[in-house]
Amino acid sequence: MEQNARREFFIRLAQGTALAATGGLIWSALLQQQAKAMPNALRPPGALDEDDFQALCIKCGLCVRDCPYDTLRLSTAGDSVPIGTPYFLPREIPCYMCPDIPCKVACPTGALTPELTDINGARMGLAVIDIENCLSWQGLRCEICHRECPLTDTAITVEHNPRKISKHALFVPIVHSDACTGCGICEKACPTDEAAIRVVAHELVQGKIGDHYRLGWKVDTTITPDFKPYEKSGPLPVAPDASGGLDYLNEGVP
Amino acid sequence: MKTGRGAIRMASNGRPVRPFIMPSTLSGRLGVWRYLILRRITQLTILLLFFGTAHWGWSVAGRPLLSGNLSSSRLLDLVPMADPFAVLQIFLTRHMLQPEVLIGAGIVLVFYALVGGRVWCAWVCPVNMVTDLAGWLRTRLGIRDMFHVNRDIRYSVLALTLVLSFLTGVAAFEWVSPISMFHRELIFGAGLGWTAVLGVFLFDLLVVKHGWCGHLCPLGAFYALVGRFAPVRVGFDAPTCTHCGECARVCPEPQVLNLRQAAEAGMIRSGECTNCGRCIPVCPEGTLQFDLRHRIGAADQSHESKPHQRRLA
Amino acid sequence: MEITRREFLKSSIAATTAATVGMPLIQGAQAASEDFEADWQWDKGVCRFCGTGCGIMVATKKGRIVATKGDPDAPVNRGLNCIKGYFNGKIQYGKDRLTQPLMRMTDGKFDKKGKFTPVSWEQAFDEMERQFRKAYAEKGPAGVAVFGSGQYTIQEGYASAKLMKAGFRSNNIDPNARHCMASAVVGFIQTFGIDEPAGNYDDIEHTDTVVSWGANMAECHPILWSRVADRRLSSDDVKIVNLSTYANETSNIADTEILFKPGTDLAIWNYIAREIIKRDAVNHDFVDKHCVFATGPYDIGYGMRNTDKYAFDAEKDIMAKELEVTLTAEEAIAQRRKTGEKVKQNNTKKPVKHWLITYEDFKEALDPYTLDFVSQLAKGDPDESLDDFRAKLKLLADLYIDKGRKVVSFWTMGFNQHYRGSWINEQAYMVHLLLGKQSMPGNGAFSLTGQPSACGTAREVGTFAHRLPADMVVMNPKHRARSEQIWKLPPRTINPKVGSHITKIMRDLEDGQVKFAWVQVNNPFQATANANHWLKAAREMDNFIVVSDPYPTISAKVSDLILPSAMIFEKWGGYGNAERRTQMWREQVPPPGQARSDVWQAMEFAKRFRLKDVWGEQMVPGLEAEGFESGKLPDVLDKAREMGYSPDDTLYDVLFATPENRKFKWPDKVAKGHDNHTVKAGALDWFPEKALYQEYVQFGRGHEHDLADFDVYYRDDVRGLKWPVVDGKETEWRFNEKYDPYVKKGSGFEFYGKALKELPTGDLDKPTSKEKTSLAGKAKIFFRPYAAPPEQPDDNYDLWMCTGRVLEHWHTGTMTRRVPELHRAVPTALFYMHPKDAEDRGLKRKDVAMVESRRGKVQAVVETQGRDDPPRGYTFIAFFDEGVLVNKLVPDITCPMSKETDFKKCAVKVRKA
Repeated sequence: MEQNARREFFIRLAQGTALAATGGLIWSALLQQQAKAMPNALRPPGALDEDDFQALCIKCGLCVRDCPYDTLRLSTAGDSVPIGTPYFLPREIPCYMCPDIPCKVACPTGALTPELTDINGARMGLAVIDIENCLSWQGLRCEICHRECPLTDTAITVEHNPRKISKHALFVPIVHSDACTGCGICEKACPTDEAAIRVVAHELVQGKIGDHYRLGWKVDTTITPDFKPYEKSGPLPVAPDASGGLDYLNEGVP
Repeated sequence: MKTGRGAIRMASNGRPVRPFIMPSTLSGRLGVWRYLILRRITQLTILLLFFGTAHWGWSVAGRPLLSGNLSSSRLLDLVPMADPFAVLQIFLTRHMLQPEVLIGAGIVLVFYALVGGRVWCAWVCPVNMVTDLAGWLRTRLGIRDMFHVNRDIRYSVLALTLVLSFLTGVAAFEWVSPISMFHRELIFGAGLGWTAVLGVFLFDLLVVKHGWCGHLCPLGAFYALVGRFAPVRVGFDAPTCTHCGECARVCPEPQVLNLRQAAEAGMIRSGECTNCGRCIPVCPEGTLQFDLRHRIGAADQSHESKPHQRRLA
Repeated sequence: MEITRREFLKSSIAATTAATVGMPLIQGAQAASEDFEADWQWDKGVCRFCGTGCGIMVATKKGRIVATKGDPDAPVNRGLNCIKGYFNGKIQYGKDRLTQPLMRMTDGKFDKKGKFTPVSWEQAFDEMERQFRKAYAEKGPAGVAVFGSGQYTIQEGYASAKLMKAGFRSNNIDPNARHCMASAVVGFIQTFGIDEPAGNYDDIEHTDTVVSWGANMAECHPILWSRVADRRLSSDDVKIVNLSTYANETSNIADTEILFKPGTDLAIWNYIAREIIKRDAVNHDFVDKHCVFATGPYDIGYGMRNTDKYAFDAEKDIMAKELEVTLTAEEAIAQRRKTGEKVKQNNTKKPVKHWLITYEDFKEALDPYTLDFVSQLAKGDPDESLDDFRAKLKLLADLYIDKGRKVVSFWTMGFNQHYRGSWINEQAYMVHLLLGKQSMPGNGAFSLTGQPSACGTAREVGTFAHRLPADMVVMNPKHRARSEQIWKLPPRTINPKVGSHITKIMRDLEDGQVKFAWVQVNNPFQATANANHWLKAAREMDNFIVVSDPYPTISAKVSDLILPSAMIFEKWGGYGNAERRTQMWREQVPPPGQARSDVWQAMEFAKRFRLKDVWGEQMVPGLEAEGFESGKLPDVLDKAREMGYSPDDTLYDVLFATPENRKFKWPDKVAKGHDNHTVKAGALDWFPEKALYQEYVQFGRGHEHDLADFDVYYRDDVRGLKWPVVDGKETEWRFNEKYDPYVKKGSGFEFYGKALKELPTGDLDKPTSKEKTSLAGKAKIFFRPYAAPPEQPDDNYDLWMCTGRVLEHWHTGTMTRRVPELHRAVPTALFYMHPKDAEDRGLKRKDVAMVESRRGKVQAVVETQGRDDPPRGYTFIAFFDEGVLVNKLVPDITCPMSKETDFKKCAVKVRKA
């Protein structure tokens, strides 16, 4: 009797554990998949890094409610954006960059960081130009994105290049990631059938130069600075005991 | 008085066991349904307040009436409220939250700790309306359980939620919760959230009776723990009970109606009781009544003087 | 654009199949989709929008425009377009296109207070005729009017002008081009004796220096600006200066941006002129041979009404200046007077009179315009240091004076829409003539136009209240006689009294002088300043207003009868751009529903009147002319009989379907199969657009305005020709012997324009002798002083406000706002102001502000960053948006000489709405 009860208990325990493990695995797989659903969802201004944002967002929709332009929407099941979280589609309604950032103010959890105080400091995404379909890059005098950009001449500048085949200059818009807020007003305003300028999450388009290299020449750095005297900082690195490449050297001659 | 078909069964307390009979008058029926009606009014009013504030700009003195949703909200732009379970999950993702949402979660936690944790389930949660419908239909159609599920599994789900939140870095239940999905989509516009609710409905209807709310929902489990010592309880006047079983027939969490324990405590003590009040009007003896925990303690000494209300003549 | 469903399926099935089996879409499949284009028919056209006159190609299929492209062979644009030009193919397909006549009716009858109801063309013309007859009987030729356009095709403008001037004997036809380049015209006529620029766009490639004055060329002449930018890129020696009252897109490629206070451009020119003299840089050889010096009166008012009977209380203080002005300290210095002197405006009736002065007088007049004086007066940005500003002005003078430099000055509405617009145009020529930098490749003062045919139609055809074709004027008996001869009219048919200019037609509606008005190809109730007066006049006075338009505009909304019009490629037509280039196109697609060309409308209306209705004696109050009884036009019916007309001939017979015109038969092989709905709708066997054009060219041939034959412009190898076209050759630079066949051989240069070339002599204040000197072949160098703007910010209305255009929208937006893409890009007119000014008024960007002037108020969205960057104290808003009717705020102050409204300067106050 006693033994049976104990046996029963262990079986139940094993069953429960197995159930929990299986359920947990499926569940966490679901979560992972959800979280990566649309890594390029454009978040409201002040949104933390996508991972932190996803963790902190309580999905209350307060930011959505306080957006005066109905820019923000709350993803629903079936959307390609993690469920219940706020995002916007700039071609529909872009972020109009309210100076008082009401969405951020509404956020109770800090998923939209209170540290964002100047809307121009927002980095919702990065505008990218499809230069094959951008009218300005083909020589037309469009540059609507440049003129409509709230940070015109900072986030989007126009570069003038000779067109070579006629006496007309090209007025080509260039986006600058150090100033582009990702508000998407350019994408909304773009007059082509499918927008030739689009806002995309930084990680999808932005490259990165290796940390080991610095550009030697930029427009604003032409003078070599004074060389400072060498200062030892910390202990020197210690070489490993064994030499590398031994396996290769000893594997025989081909 | 009833005219029985067979012999009148006598209860152990010496009274005849009388079944519950649905009154034929409308006012009588409304009396039986009074808690049901009140719950629906509460549930729908809360939904309506959220919806009206979001869509019709309802406000008082320029302050939005009730903005946000059940995950986090603001009453009159002043009183923050937040789902303490969601906050707990986020907390476990190792993220620091802003004070507002912590205060909000505190306010809600204290409220349910006082009125009974699962009051949330019966009086606020919008999914409750769906599962109640499923339960009602199920009885109508005479559907039997496919298999038995242990009701304590919800505590495992609760534990799993917390563990997964910690491991995956996202609020695990919030990401799949049919409750938040349903509520959000009712307020902010429909997506495919209804499919999750349909799933819950079908599960409750066809698979396990009270399957979601009574067996699986970790939020319910969370509130069951929160409401463990809530002052607002269903009091149990043991001497009047004839063990007729009418209460257990309507109760969505019948395990809480352990009459032996109830008799000892003078009340339904389990946190799993949702304070839905279904049992109260169907009790032919008036044994079950809402009451306060400390009054029940006092009444233990003089339960003779407790007024018995008889609904049936 | 629209591709038939079947074709679409063909290609999309291919695409989906490829996609579903995971095959990449290969080149061949793409080529298959390009097969749609195989049966598109391409033909040449002209851009519908600005005065640049870009060539475009139009593709049609089954009566619909399916695509357009920039014409690679067009010398103006070489295949490029701006973003408006990109949408030429979409403007006619707006959802609310008008397709049937609409009349205000109650119970089946016309009622001024009734609701617009569809009627037949017959009913529409019936009521129009009735109302016209009523007004004509009551008020005579002065009681009817036409609001014309700089966007008329040549033939439309010609038909309307002929109907009004020769048929109804009324000079009350005036185009919206009055608002656009009337000041330029006065400048040209007074300086050169002939209208329109000497140079052409190739000046851009020839010059070293481009100075843009009061023109946001980057937005308003986008394709020209890309040529300027290209020139700038070609060499660092090329310099660009942008003079403006606020920082705009044109500053982007400018080497120097000079922000000046509104109106002080008058002083800046004089500073440059003074500097030319001081540095002994006058090209004496050129000036002595080809120029004379002249000046005119200063007390000419501001073109406002001379009574405040109709004024709102708040605007009375400004209107009082029409009668008397108290000189400011700066004006006193600039005009050699005393500060605070009250000057009666005695020359408001004769502002254009002028007389010769000596070079010494001229020098003396310029003497006050020192760098000290002008820099203090003109500095426009309070946050800029005076030293910086001084340095910029000096640099500007250096650039002009530098002997090694060629200079082109461009300007548009900043000069033309100016309370002294004619003066400032003349000042530009003053500087260029003093330096001898005029009428040669890369050197010249170049007035740009705003509208596609402000030159080709409004100016050359003469759809103005005072003009006849080819620079002739109604006041001149010889010009009338010549016109009557070409038009085959009895002598003294044409009314010698100048009609009402476009703003005056509005005033005439307000005071009940005009009872019938016909709006053609423009939207005057949105585009005319001080709109509150006119909107009210249209709806509340006893008058009848007809609006011909393809779309429901504000003007249509306040009218009584709306006639649906055909749009540019739905009819045959021609435009003339700012470099004298005449370009023509064929009808590409039929107009929708019952919409009809304006030529057809004019001809149909003409059928309703007989000679006896209009060529009898007519009362014209105020008419005073040699050979005319005072206040009367003579009965010319007898003379008409002698010429073979019958009093029962209709105006259509006499003016349009003349025996000569009917010789131009339809069909015509120039059509190459294209249709003509005007011919069809009128059941004609002749080709009205060609006939009218061929009749019109008689005016200019041999009179310095030669145009080629109709068919020449339709040749496949022709992309417009710059007049005068003599012996089949266009003229690149006028007045220059090397290029212009009209210049006397051996003279080098000859400013051969014939107008106003007999002048008395005088001193700086007045003519001193009646004797007139002939200045044949010479240009005049005018001295014009600085005068302060009549309305300036004060304690109450404390900000300057300027209106204008944006690249994305054309004028009042009636076409561009119907292109969804353009509307999406720029949905509303933003109120640009300095962030500090906004902050001081409790405004943030995107707040809705109430902008209020003495004349009205409108709500607009505030913008403090973006394309325009006004200095503190200054604001800008575009006028395209009918939701923000900014012309309710702007005063109807005009240049008294040109009658062109100053849309660029008024005082407003701004608060949160």
